[in-house]
Amino acid sequence: MSNIITTIAKQTFKTAFSNKATLALLILLGVSLCLATYVGWQNYKSQQNQRLHYKALVRAQWLAKPDKHPHRMAHYGYLAFREKHELSFFDFGIESFAGVSIFLEAHKQNTVNFSEASFANGMLRFGEISVAMVLQLLVPLLIFFLGYNSISAERESGTLKILLCQNVSWKQLLWGKTLGIISVCLSIFLPLILLTILLWASLSNWEINPDSSLRLLMLILCYSVYFFIVSAITVLVSAYHQSSKAALTTLLACWIFFMVIMPRITQAIGDKIHPSPSKIEFADAIAADISRQGDSHNPDDVHYASIKDSLLKAYKVNDVKKLPFNYGGYIMAEGEKISSKIYSNHQRQLNATFEKQNRLTVLSGFLNPYLSLKNVSMALTASDFKTFVDFQNQAETYRYGLAQKMNKLQIDKISNIAPGETAKPLAISRSNWAQQPDFNYRFSHLGTVLKSELLALASLLCWLTLVIIMIQCTARWVKTIPNQN
Amino acid sequence: MNKSIYILEFKLFFRNSATWMGIILLILMGFAGLYFGKTFIEKQEQVITKAASLQKQQTRQNIAHFGNDIGLFFYHNKFSLANTPDAWAAFANGQRDVNPYLISVTMLGLEGQLYDTDLSNPLSLLLGKMDLSFVFIFLFPLVIIAFSYNLLSEQKESGIWPLLKAQTDKTFTIIWRKILVRLMVIFALAFLLMFVAAIYLKLPFDGTFAALMVLILLYLAFWFAVAFVVISLHKSSNFNASALIAIWVLLCIVVPASLNLLLTKKYPIPEALQNVINQREGYHEKWDMAKSVTMAPFFKHYPQLKKYPFPEEKTFSWYWYYGMQQMGDDAALGSRVLIEKKLASRQNFTETVALFIPSIQLQLGVNELAGTDLDSHLNFQQAVRKYHETIRLHFYPAIFTDDELKNTDIENYKLEKYVPKDVPVIWINLLSITTLTVILAWVGYFLLRKRI
Repeated sequence: MSNIITTIAKQTFKTAFSNKATLALLILLGVSLCLATYVGWQNYKSQQNQRLHYKALVRAQWLAKPDKHPHRMAHYGYLAFREKHELSFFDFGIESFAGVSIFLEAHKQNTVNFSEASFANGMLRFGEISVAMVLQLLVPLLIFFLGYNSISAERESGTLKILLCQNVSWKQLLWGKTLGIISVCLSIFLPLILLTILLWASLSNWEINPDSSLRLLMLILCYSVYFFIVSAITVLVSAYHQSSKAALTTLLACWIFFMVIMPRITQAIGDKIHPSPSKIEFADAIAADISRQGDSHNPDDVHYASIKDSLLKAYKVNDVKKLPFNYGGYIMAEGEKISSKIYSNHQRQLNATFEKQNRLTVLSGFLNPYLSLKNVSMALTASDFKTFVDFQNQAETYRYGLAQKMNKLQIDKISNIAPGETAKPLAISRSNWAQQPDFNYRFSHLGTVLKSELLALASLLCWLTLVIIMIQCTARWVKTIPNQN
Repeated sequence: MNKSIYILEFKLFFRNSATWMGIILLILMGFAGLYFGKTFIEKQEQVITKAASLQKQQTRQNIAHFGNDIGLFFYHNKFSLANTPDAWAAFANGQRDVNPYLISVTMLGLEGQLYDTDLSNPLSLLLGKMDLSFVFIFLFPLVIIAFSYNLLSEQKESGIWPLLKAQTDKTFTIIWRKILVRLMVIFALAFLLMFVAAIYLKLPFDGTFAALMVLILLYLAFWFAVAFVVISLHKSSNFNASALIAIWVLLCIVVPASLNLLLTKKYPIPEALQNVINQREGYHEKWDMAKSVTMAPFFKHYPQLKKYPFPEEKTFSWYWYYGMQQMGDDAALGSRVLIEKKLASRQNFTETVALFIPSIQLQLGVNELAGTDLDSHLNFQQAVRKYHETIRLHFYPAIFTDDELKNTDIENYKLEKYVPKDVPVIWINLLSITTLTVILAWVGYFLLRKRI
């Protein structure tokens, strides 16, 4: 029984390689994959090194600052750079469209700036060649070319009847053809994966991070499932069509619709249904909330007036200058607390809106296996939207910590009596600066990633189940003999 | 006689259901592109209108809060310049989703504010905008392929070809006629969509319209030429379809995407990060230095401001503060120029490779005419620099003499709109696509003549 499947698979595999055009396509694809891997690594390394270089520079400059007022340090702030995950060489995801550096300072939340896209002219909009792009877009095209006539050609030449008479069932035929096509794909995909693993390991000095290894394993698994789904669809389309030509046309039309048109449309609709605020509207809403809760800049603010009164009462003094700690620092700490809480709330809402925009694309995965794989792949290589949001959140937490640390230093170590107009400014020792740790971004663990990608993974699984059921049941619906008209 | 043959050819062409599917696809996608392109730009226009009223409101609030301290007022108060979209921007959204179209800056160091981005969803940026230019660049060629791949091969496969050949010696004319019919239908569709676009987006029928129309028609003609060459190889329908799709994938995805990677590798821009560091250090380090370190270069930069006495004895003065801010910008000048040079090399590289790749050529040409390309944004940045400088020089005297805010004309300041002056020329784009089309058409003609 399984012998027949293997025979058919072997036969399909051999025929594919005997075809010169297929061979040429395979070699072309293999070469472009190797090139994509190599250039992807080069890019990853040079960009990552750039960021690490500036990260070290920023740290050194921070530590080298002389004695000064802590609030000056809070304004000097910190620069954080978005590090790339080591697997991002495989799938660039949103990398080029997300900013790289963010300036973290007191009182103010800045945007992540300098994305590659902001330096790009129109060419970037055609895409970037990466291993993932070749595997997601071009390998399916290759599979279509390999398999569009897998059944229909047998039908056209009349061998289908003969095959089915010779104790070969439809099920065996479909499985055999699918496996044959998939093995052709794997013959280029597997060496490439080995190459990738070797390259990756050698470039990370053979110190393989277990989490990344699991991510890579999961990635290989998902791509294999994707190839299986595409191969099975190809064979099924070929089985249901009367002629090879019709099968090819259908497959090519599907490729164009699902991979070129649909992603843009779903995202455009998502953006339309869930509009996100512009920066000025966002900033205005935050400012409105802050002035409602307490605006430290407003001299008539009720919230700060009551803080002042209660402090004066508690310490039994009649002037803030007589308080035993730095009053300015205390007020700034309160202001930072209020404003950053409000900001974070708004930022969370904004990200929720973006998530809703993306939700349609994720849901479309149930209609379009390309989109479900794309989402899973970006998440596994940490080049997705959620990783970017996570970076923003970690940077904001760091910014808040830095600002409050400097406020604390000011409250504790700076005299509450302001020096005269011409006196030397108040300062604390530079030894305090080292208390503020460096900013280090931490990538989420695989478990967290998988949990947040449940929907995309589920859609991939749905597709897998669907095509298996289709292969199993096709015999009932499909015609063996072409229509005679 | 000739006319009726064309009518028959048209009838034959329209009898095919694939023809109607292609036409409906293009019209539907064209309308969708127009709709999404327009809503995207309309939203930007609304934001600009809103920003104008917000700026007035915020200035009033700042006057209420900081009106007593002119230096502090200008520390907080923002001035906005908007890059108002051209009517064509709705046709080709270009880079307008990536680059900010509204830049609000205070009088402080500009280099620390100029590159702030808008809030955007990076996944939306990655998947790209749906606009009419997308339909022309990506989808029209696919429909052209679908219309023409089996032009000759179908005749052969259905056995009509030997019959035809036996009846006439003008077989080339027959093929030519069929291509012409498809060309006319595609061109008519392009005209129709452009006409609807002109009404829906309120595009003026001017030189830009004519240039874009010609550019698009040439691009479509290029794809007919490609199809013509493949047809003339006398292969099977399946071969033609596969080959043409492969060419489309190469020209519209693989080649531009590879070139893009090459571009990033060849011209990386670490200067951008260096620029931030230069600006930040250039300003902050001055706090710990003698005031003359700031003020000597400041007066060298602005000799005309020397006449305002500098309060040397004061620990802090706004005079010194704004001087230090200026030092941040001055420190970043070198890296800024380097960034500009890198961007110029990138532009050069792209323009050179575009000479051989019509898809890139059309994209660049359309974005350029629509004022949505990188160059337009860089010009906008320059305009912000100029505006910022004007504001600085206008208010510096009042700040340096510690004048009352109410003596200035701050209330008259409102959101300004940037309008690009020169209309771009796209002769090179037109010429390169024409050349490629003519060469291909000639090759196709030669091949077909030889083998018929």
